[in-house]
Amino acid sequence: MAFINYSSREIQLKIVYYGAALCGKTTNLVTLHKQITHAQKGELVSLATDADRTLFFDFLSLNTKTLPGFTTRFQLYTVPGQAIYNTTRQLVLKGVDGIVFVVDSHWDKMADNVESFANLQENLIENHLSLVQIPYVLQYNKRDIPNAAPINYLEYTFNNRANRALAFEAVAATGVGVLETLNAAARLLLAKYSKTPNANVTGMSRPNPTVAVPPQSDSPQVGAGNVAA
Amino acid sequence: MLTAEDQMAIEQRLADFLNKSEAQWSALVDKGGNLFAQSGDTGTLDLSILSALAAGSFAATHELAKRLGESEFSALYHEGHGQHILMSALHHECLLVTIFGEKTNIGLVRFYAQQVTVSLNELLKGASEKEATAEPLQLEGNFLDNQATIT
Repeated sequence: MAFINYSSREIQLKIVYYGAALCGKTTNLVTLHKQITHAQKGELVSLATDADRTLFFDFLSLNTKTLPGFTTRFQLYTVPGQAIYNTTRQLVLKGVDGIVFVVDSHWDKMADNVESFANLQENLIENHLSLVQIPYVLQYNKRDIPNAAPINYLEYTFNNRANRALAFEAVAATGVGVLETLNAAARLLLAKYSKTPNANVTGMSRPNPTVAVPPQSDSPQVGAGNVAA
Repeated sequence: MLTAEDQMAIEQRLADFLNKSEAQWSALVDKGGNLFAQSGDTGTLDLSILSALAAGSFAATHELAKRLGESEFSALYHEGHGQHILMSALHHECLLVTIFGEKTNIGLVRFYAQQVTVSLNELLKGASEKEATAEPLQLEGNFLDNQATIT
């Protein structure tokens, strides 16, 4: 839960990157650590195995001036994607404010992606939370691979709810879409503190025009709203 | 949510605790890894990282305790060569994290940590009650547009 310190005029917000094993969660943080130049950033900490697989979490702290009169400290965490580390994923979700769900675009990874999304929902319930309360964005990663699943398929599979989430295409390894994804998640969280909320303020009730996923005229979700409208 | 008065009161308790125990640094951290208040000196250590790791370490220990049939391990101690760390569970999902060196010893630090946890729990209870009835923070601006961008 967001922590507001009126004495130091600081708001701390926790964003967790969630997704299946090897989908690119750690790569997102590594790339952000390289790309971010203006925000004050901390060291990137990885609790990983010798083979560079996340064991507990990766952590990156960013201090920004995105809210007037307050320093906003975004604490970015990843979870370990491997199935055996479910308890660890539950622990990392403690106190989460926002989620970036990273989808591996590889066709062969669809079952893993779906399982991870279901696992996210279960683990939020374990923490007495749900995706209705916690703002989240979707990132379709590895769009550069030759056998990437089409966007309309990914949208149909992961974004087929009445309340559509923002979705971004990305190639985390090269930096494409990484900052855009973080900024969308950050804005959704910051919108909570706006005195003049617009229709998009929850980020979930209506599609947002800033979304990076192109229109899908043949999408099976006609009537549910076009994310790229 | 911490008001300026809460913050001052907590920092005062932490400073007293450091004074009596001769520990080096002490902080109130929540179990999600947020640093609420601190006192003492850690040099150039990144306190965000320290808080995140302490919360992670305590969370893993809590899970171990659950599996052993304990409701919680109330304290966790890591012994180093020159520096040591003690973490004590507080109410309201918080932790007291204390770093100390050779100037003092675990017995003394633990003794005073147990004392300060009582008064910190009282302060946290008051802060939590205030938070439940406080007006939500609302600021001018539409933070969904590009004016708030991390670069």
